[in-house]
Amino acid sequence: MLDPAVMMEYMPAFWDGFIVTAEVSILSIIGSFIIGLLIALLRISENKVCRFAALFYVDIFRNIPFLVLIFFAYYGLPEVGIYIDAFWTGCFTLSIAVAAYVAETIRAGIQNIDKGIIEAAKSFGFKRVQIYTKIILPIAITSSIRPLGSVFINLILTTSILSAITLGELTSASKIIASTTFRPFEVYMFLVIFYGVLTFALSAVIAGWHKYLNRYNEA
Amino acid sequence: MIEIHDLHKDFGDLKVLKGVDLKIKPGEVVSILGGSGSGKSTLIRCINGLEKITSGSIFVDDFDVRNKKDLMEIRKRCSTVFQQFDLYPHLSVLDNIALAPINVLKQNKKDAKIKAMELLRSVELEEKASVYPAQLSGGQKQRIGICRALAMEPNYLLLDEVTSSLDPEMTAEVLVILKKLAKEGITMISVTHEIGFAQEISDRIVFLDEGKILQNLSKDEFFSDEGGKSDPRIAKFLSKMGNQ
Repeated sequence: MLDPAVMMEYMPAFWDGFIVTAEVSILSIIGSFIIGLLIALLRISENKVCRFAALFYVDIFRNIPFLVLIFFAYYGLPEVGIYIDAFWTGCFTLSIAVAAYVAETIRAGIQNIDKGIIEAAKSFGFKRVQIYTKIILPIAITSSIRPLGSVFINLILTTSILSAITLGELTSASKIIASTTFRPFEVYMFLVIFYGVLTFALSAVIAGWHKYLNRYNEA
Repeated sequence: MIEIHDLHKDFGDLKVLKGVDLKIKPGEVVSILGGSGSGKSTLIRCINGLEKITSGSIFVDDFDVRNKKDLMEIRKRCSTVFQQFDLYPHLSVLDNIALAPINVLKQNKKDAKIKAMELLRSVELEEKASVYPAQLSGGQKQRIGICRALAMEPNYLLLDEVTSSLDPEMTAEVLVILKKLAKEGITMISVTHEIGFAQEISDRIVFLDEGKILQNLSKDEFFSDEGGKSDPRIAKFLSKMGNQ
């Protein structure tokens, strides 16, 4: 019979996994945002080589299954002498892979900006860097905050794949609890709730941030 | 002084400006008239370097528009007001006005904002200081556009069809401000369809036709039957625009 109470005993184990998932998620969101922003800027660069390199990056990482990527990073790289533990392998690969999606989202935001606004800034003598930091990026990030939110929610869900490289995150912890208790129904029900908490929390943050950043669009 | 010599501008195969010569002295108010596609806006966009010139030269106070370093100096001296306003949507009205003085002219933030407030007062929009452009009417946006340009304390004010996106009532509120500025002696180069306005504020009228200057006359000469109107193309243009 369905008996969630049995699970209470395993709460500390769930909680440990939850913390690891949250840590990997937060670090990877920050990492993928920084890398993605740089790639987006390269994508719209006037330099052909930069543009091509960025396009190559985006195409590569959007076309490799994430599972293959982490197997390569965790089991492949040690063969050539690069060993990184499971936690950081997870953070790095997630950051690198998700950055491709972040880059495309920010690029779309940049390309949607009215050219007249950028020309106006140019005509007032702003330097290139100032035009980007004071005008283009604030507008682009604001307009792409919701699609970025979807990318980051997807990132949280993708952390479950890290269970494949022995990282003790939420899914991995749940698998162990399920095989110990022989109660997969309750265990995975809890797992669903934990992921729900994480993604709803992020959604709420994004929605609030969206509202704050877009306050200027309310006519 | 703005000196334009044998200016050509092509967009691919399309030749938009075909040898324009023009001098604008400090304190002058010059209106550039002409039909659609005559190259009026392109001319103004060449002066502040938004369009790269194909050949010829433009000097603003002896700074060369073709030289990158000089161009930055030119942009500090020439402020543009745009047809579509092109305010920064993510900044409050006050920040829209103060952004360039703070970042380009390196003015002290507090001083720049005080100055911006003064400008807002002069266009009777001081109560809008903290709102965003999306919350303003077209006429209000353009008045802010003018404040943004004036905040740079420019030697030259370039007006690129500043009332073309406005209805008559809003046009009137913008023109009142520009007339006041013209009286104060600021040098203005105005591309416009408002013949009445050009007639009222200008010292000189330049009529562009197919990328060339057809007439460059004092206002009185231009609107006299023996002067500008004796040219059939100008007469036709003026009658089309409702000026007899």
